[in-house]
Amino acid sequence: MNSLFFRKMVVALTGLFLCTFLIVHLSANFILLLPESMARELYNSYSTTLRESPLIKIIAYVLYAAILLHAFYALLITLRNRKAKPEKYVVNHSNENSTWTSQNMGLIGTIILLFLVLHLANFWARIKLGIGEEVGLDALGNRDVYEVAYTLFHNIYYVIFYTLISIPLGLHLHHGLKSAFKSLGFYHKKGLQLLAKVSVIYAVIMGVGFGIIPIIVYFK
Amino acid sequence: MKVIFKIWRQEGPNEKGTIRDYEVDGLNEDMSFLEALDHLNELLVLKNEKVIAFEYDCREGICGQCGVFINGRAHGPHDNITTCQLHMRSFKDGDTIVVEPWRAASFPVIKDLIVDRSALDRIIEQGAFITAKTGTAPEANSILIPKETADRAMDAAACIGCGACVATCKNSSAALFTAAKINHFNSLPQGKAEEHKRVAEMMFQMEIEGFGSCTFTGACEVECPESISITNIAEMNARYVKSKLLK
Repeated sequence: MNSLFFRKMVVALTGLFLCTFLIVHLSANFILLLPESMARELYNSYSTTLRESPLIKIIAYVLYAAILLHAFYALLITLRNRKAKPEKYVVNHSNENSTWTSQNMGLIGTIILLFLVLHLANFWARIKLGIGEEVGLDALGNRDVYEVAYTLFHNIYYVIFYTLISIPLGLHLHHGLKSAFKSLGFYHKKGLQLLAKVSVIYAVIMGVGFGIIPIIVYFK
Repeated sequence: MKVIFKIWRQEGPNEKGTIRDYEVDGLNEDMSFLEALDHLNELLVLKNEKVIAFEYDCREGICGQCGVFINGRAHGPHDNITTCQLHMRSFKDGDTIVVEPWRAASFPVIKDLIVDRSALDRIIEQGAFITAKTGTAPEANSILIPKETADRAMDAAACIGCGACVATCKNSSAALFTAAKINHFNSLPQGKAEEHKRVAEMMFQMEIEGFGSCTFTGACEVECPESISITNIAEMNARYVKSKLLK
């Protein structure tokens, strides 16, 4: 169970789960772009529904586990891979045979992980754990999560940071999505060609989507 | 034609190596890269210096013996060729050419540009053959194999074991090599009887030899002289899952 293949399987499966999660996450975030009168109530009632659903509670734990396992096993793989190439080339033009992203998934992943710590501190810790500044209630008595996002994205530094981080996110997703399928053994030739295109579309939607929401909210 | 070679010199497996500069004149662009190294070695002999050790055999792109890292690429600046197929016309007069041995923990340097690739042989020993006695060559069509299957097996069988995939891979993964060997046998009826054992044992050997994991950078298929597709690695993974499930 500790074979290299098993580790790759864990990273691929958790990666695909996280890819699916991001679709739901981004879809919900689009509510933030509606006019405020609609957005606040809709977003708050949506997040209350999520918090109170027993099914979502289970999925939330799966999500935490997926993030930790993905990072942990990716780290194990990276350390072992480094050991497999102890001496580097004096001259290496790897950009001529592969993309920069594919050569630096570990670095990009680490940047995203660091962002995630801040992101969880911004939202999850305040809303779910009640750490930090208290979150108020809206007119319907739901926790005012919209206000948390609205306030955060009226701080220009956070807007810039959240927008910039969507670039490594998009790159990571582009390489990760198509590679996960190959790691799991998907080798249908036409299917892989389609998958390559789907990965680009998916990564662009995720990158642009998550990147543009803070900007639009800032100007609201 | 004149170039400046910067070549990795290392006396032995446990010695410390270093890059040494050699200015070489009198080359012409029709020389193969190996002939240019021969020319340099002749000059070194005349100067009573130790010649540069490098590997070669057929010098026509089919044996997989030659293989060095040239100016940051496995087998030089072109895609999908061996070092012996590289010619000096790919360089300009006055160019600096950096020549290094394959780098991987599983490929220790023996001397100068020669590395020990026996780790690949040990992967083959785990199952890249069939145990049945086949006797003399049978009638070619006694076992019917669809053209498409035969082509796929042949594409994988084309691997010459040069090690460029391992050399270029940032993880020193031997996945393309191992996948080519496994898919070659497992896609043919003769190899079917031992397919699950073959996948499990060859992949296990690949791991204990110290090669890294495949992270699908795709560099290997660009450097492979036989243009073996990286899809082979995905296919090997599928075979591995199948072998575990059917065990």
